[in-house]
Amino acid sequence: MADLASYVIRKMLLAIPIILLATLIVFLMLYLTPGDPITALAPPHASVEELDAIRDKYGLNDPPYVQYGLFLWRLVHGDLGISIGAATRNLDVSGLIVQRLPRTLELMGIGLGMSYSLGIPLGVFSALRHNTLGDRSVMVFTLLAYAMPSFWLGILLMLLFAVELGWLPIEGTTGGFGSIILPAMTLGLGNAALTTRMMRSSMLEVIRQDYITQLRSRGLPEKEIIYRHALKNAILPVITVIGLDIGWFIGGSVVVETVFQWPGIGMLITTSISNSDFPVVQGCILVLAFFVIAGNLFADILYAYVDPRVRLG
Amino acid sequence: MRLRKALNDKLLAWKMAGGVRQTLAGILERGGRNPMVVIGFTMIVIIISIALLAPVLPIADPTQQNLEPGQQLLSPSSENWFGTDENGRDVFSRVIWGARVSLTVAMVAVVVSMMIGIVLGLTAGYFGGKVDYIISGTIDLFWTFPPFLLALAFAAALGAGLMNVILAISISYWAGFARLMRGQALSMRERQFVEASRALGARHWRLMFTHVLPNCIAPLIVWASIGVADAITIESSLSFLGVGTKPPTPSWGWMLSSGILYLGNAPWISTFPGVTMVATILGFNLLGDGLRDVLDPRMKGLRR
Repeated sequence: MADLASYVIRKMLLAIPIILLATLIVFLMLYLTPGDPITALAPPHASVEELDAIRDKYGLNDPPYVQYGLFLWRLVHGDLGISIGAATRNLDVSGLIVQRLPRTLELMGIGLGMSYSLGIPLGVFSALRHNTLGDRSVMVFTLLAYAMPSFWLGILLMLLFAVELGWLPIEGTTGGFGSIILPAMTLGLGNAALTTRMMRSSMLEVIRQDYITQLRSRGLPEKEIIYRHALKNAILPVITVIGLDIGWFIGGSVVVETVFQWPGIGMLITTSISNSDFPVVQGCILVLAFFVIAGNLFADILYAYVDPRVRLG
Repeated sequence: MRLRKALNDKLLAWKMAGGVRQTLAGILERGGRNPMVVIGFTMIVIIISIALLAPVLPIADPTQQNLEPGQQLLSPSSENWFGTDENGRDVFSRVIWGARVSLTVAMVAVVVSMMIGIVLGLTAGYFGGKVDYIISGTIDLFWTFPPFLLALAFAAALGAGLMNVILAISISYWAGFARLMRGQALSMRERQFVEASRALGARHWRLMFTHVLPNCIAPLIVWASIGVADAITIESSLSFLGVGTKPPTPSWGWMLSSGILYLGNAPWISTFPGVTMVATILGFNLLGDGLRDVLDPRMKGLRR
């Protein structure tokens, strides 16, 4: 296990430049924005002196590298700046994010659960009925689910289950557990398609291996071969990359939360973009980027844990 | 996300296979026998031809509003095949003109990111050493983040608009190309024909662009095909979030999201662009997936 520990430490050190890149991109966003960020803050018809005072207050007169340094310094202290949006003026960005974070995590967790509980059985089913009508239908489903942009899928599901059938609430969080089903389903379906395809090809690979043939020749019942011996090996590559799914879910959550007015970080980004509330957009994107990095790290570690060859390499 | 990562790894691993004809002629010859490639390719050709022919087709002006009473939100008829939208514009014509916008955004973005990727990846893989260390470090950094998240960050900063969207997608998507190119170049530069050319005194750029690059085309094509599908999705999602193309430009993403308001009483406004868009994405994905299967010798006899 010592090699695992050193592997983990190595991977964590490698994550540092990635985190720095994320902060740099987020910091540079302010410079890419056309127009002076100060105009959103200043009262209308502010004099030049007043504008200068505001710039001083936000440190916008310092050279860029000093600003970046200060940005990082505040960041390690958990300070993401203050909101400049009309409704949330002067509130802490980190406070706003912390308030929204549980909603996003909840949505991602349930979406992840749905995508696995749909994708894994479908993938196994498809692999065991390789090249039959059932397999082909599953493949067509995955191709379609993958080609469908999530916001449109969300709208269609909303139309079907909320408007036509009236089974589930349309949007927001007022419907209790019922209101999370549609957004989580929308978020999970695209990933379910990926999981299905990975599970299927992994299973196809495993059931062609010699040890399975050997088990068959020993006369073991097919069920036992598949569920006790093949599935265990086939499921590993599918499960170990669970961390990478976070990237998919992060991107999707912004869109899905906006469709269903789910009050998480994703919707906070969208509303902040339309309010030109840049500190909040920056803060949210940074937090989402951290999740992606953590997810990647988790995937690496999990993979090394199950496959010792990785950590020795 | 991870399927993309796995695919990129798989494409990289091709170089190990050896002896596979990865030339353009080889791809065409063997692709013609794969149903996925044929279906995907046909779908793409049809959609692109219609988009190219839009100016000469006898269709209504996509931006021509018809504000006379009773001309808005008309359901599909022989007059307006896909119905009319809230401003009395012909949806059929807008879908066709929208194809031009969406495909242009996606293809230009993919070409730009492919060029960035080829130059950086080729330089890193060909020269190796410190150059490689710095460039591949940068590639890995960008490779970590999902393209959509990066594109969202850039688009949010740059603001809505056609060029900004293209720029945002290009900056976000190049790492995949660079990674492929680097891996291929790394193995190609050791090949004897490259060494022979070097011994004859060929310059670096000549070796890189006339010997190494043409032999790495196949995986790049697969990645580009899937890239176009991704770029269409990203563009439409950005438009939905309000940082994509701007209103008068009828991109599919924009039409889809603006039609959402009328889903209850005029579902055709967003359904037709949606279906067309999904068909296009499907076409590019099929082509990419099919080509990958065609070119991956390990999948032989294992039809997927």
